[in-house]
Amino acid sequence: MIDDTRQILSIQSHVVHGYVGNKAATFPLQYRGWNVDSLNTVQFSNHPGYGSFTGFRDDKENLYKIIDSGLINGLNIKYNAIITGYLPSVDSLQSISRLVNDLCIKEQIPWILDPVLGDNGKLYVDMECVTIYKDILSTCQVYLTVPNQFEMETLTGMKIKDMDTLKRSFQNFHRSYPGVKRVIVSSIDFSMDHSQSTDCDTYTVAFAESPNFDQFQYFTVEKIQAHFNGSGDLFSALLVDMLFPVVEQSVTSTLASAVGKALNLTHQILNKTYRLTVKSVETHPPSETETVPHIKDLKLIQCAELLRIRTEDIDIRYPLSQVK
Amino acid sequence: MPRLLATQSHVVHGYVGNKAATFPLQCLGWDVDCCNSVQFSNHTGYGMERVFGNITNQNDLDALLNGVFANFATDYDALLSGYLPNKESVNCMGQHYSKFKEKNKKLLWLMDPVMGDEGQLYVNEDVIPEYQKLTFSSNGLVDIITPNQYELEILYGKKISSKEELKQSLEELHKTVPVIVVTSCSSELFDDKGHIYCVASIKGEAPLVYRIPYIDTYFTGVGDLFSALLLDRIIKLYQDETATLKFADQIDDIINVLQRVLKMTKYYSKENIKSKMGSVIGMKDMELRIVESRDLYHTVPIINSKFPIDFPKKKYLYKEL
Repeated sequence: MIDDTRQILSIQSHVVHGYVGNKAATFPLQYRGWNVDSLNTVQFSNHPGYGSFTGFRDDKENLYKIIDSGLINGLNIKYNAIITGYLPSVDSLQSISRLVNDLCIKEQIPWILDPVLGDNGKLYVDMECVTIYKDILSTCQVYLTVPNQFEMETLTGMKIKDMDTLKRSFQNFHRSYPGVKRVIVSSIDFSMDHSQSTDCDTYTVAFAESPNFDQFQYFTVEKIQAHFNGSGDLFSALLVDMLFPVVEQSVTSTLASAVGKALNLTHQILNKTYRLTVKSVETHPPSETETVPHIKDLKLIQCAELLRIRTEDIDIRYPLSQVK
Repeated sequence: MPRLLATQSHVVHGYVGNKAATFPLQCLGWDVDCCNSVQFSNHTGYGMERVFGNITNQNDLDALLNGVFANFATDYDALLSGYLPNKESVNCMGQHYSKFKEKNKKLLWLMDPVMGDEGQLYVNEDVIPEYQKLTFSSNGLVDIITPNQYELEILYGKKISSKEELKQSLEELHKTVPVIVVTSCSSELFDDKGHIYCVASIKGEAPLVYRIPYIDTYFTGVGDLFSALLLDRIIKLYQDETATLKFADQIDDIINVLQRVLKMTKYYSKENIKSKMGSVIGMKDMELRIVESRDLYHTVPIINSKFPIDFPKKKYLYKEL
């Protein structure tokens, strides 16, 4: 049975079909004992990875009022954490971030910010959003941010090719954004920029914590040969769960152990999704532009049993290294 | 895995509409595609001055459903429709669902004709003919409806003041709708203020009366949870090849689940719930404990013996109507 529940405000996109944004975060968090107040910044039929989609964006005033007049001043809800993801316009990004920042400072709520800018070398927001994210990160108090490699590169203005550039990237980050206490860079692929080298079969998940941004740590994780939509959103959600357990553990919960456990659980879900999907993927061989199967929907519902595992029973199965 | 499309309301905080339906169905193994007809901060029971948000306008809803049915035309085993804010949105949902159902006769459509309760309409009057049109469609598109007595009276077009009239109304609606569950009947009908009466009727069999102890409080979202569970249990009934499941037991099973969820909700509620109407803190405490009830939605719940309350299975079937 669920021991006790925690309360989170999750401000992300909504898709009717499939599992990205709030749809990827909500079920896993609920299943692990969180009451999830999901505020949807957009409502689309499905994610853009399907090629076509329909839907609409919510306007800034509406989102602002729901949080400020409704949840906070109207109902006076106390959140254990707030997570923000895709915000559809320059306007909403700016105003909602300011509102969340003020609220998190006033009520001492940890803010987990996913700087949704793009992936695999491509921006999927306006260029102006980059400037705004830089501004937000340099002036706000953020408990944790979870950029992917492309977003980290965009935010620090430098390519990540190896451990050395990764280290400089963390240093740049800390210098530019001192109010951000923790950074986790998910899925760094060092093979991407080495055109001659053969494909690497591992990727790196690196993280650092204030004030020690020089001494970051990283996990080396085996790759699953597929492209998943929603895996990053799932990882962020699980990370939040691991970071804020119901009862204070006897063993101090460190950032490394939270990341390691969230990675393990994410990978089990991706593996199961792969096994359940791969047959149908094989009948549709990857197109020429895709080198690995594209798995558009996580099989979250079929993974309910995996989500039942208690945090203290999850292993950290990837090797952890430290850079001094 | 079965998949359904559910078009109804979304609240950021609390559990009504899609928020009450989605997680329980997911726990039962359903992929739930939720199309939100509104996005509000919380349900209207907190007082209208405390509700913020937007309704999904007709064009947006139309585009959204177009996209969903264009991309996932073969994916659905069931359709669910609940609260829709106005005539245009009921009409829009109705057109899309009807078109889809006509092409996919095997799938089940549960329509909760959300219009009001206890003599009070909470939608505009022009919504009524839209629901009547769908209920009495000559193609028999809707498989299951879950009106309360007031909504049944609206659909039927006449006040129901006796068991005999109730029977007649069900017969009339059964001409087009195979399963009708009247989720709550007025206490006068059964001359008993201590219980809530629910009448479930499947075409071709005698309607069944279920008697549930009246909990002297006000919980929002129970009806939405009921509809979600009903869809799950009716599909299981129809798919049961061994014919061991019975309609009467499926309804009893749903009421047992609801009673467990209400018991869980009361357990977590800090004080006497009766005193909580009207105050924000009170209302927050009366939100259904949908997440805490994770392990209670199946016919056989997963119960930890260390938990301080128990959930004995009870029989709620009272008699034939």
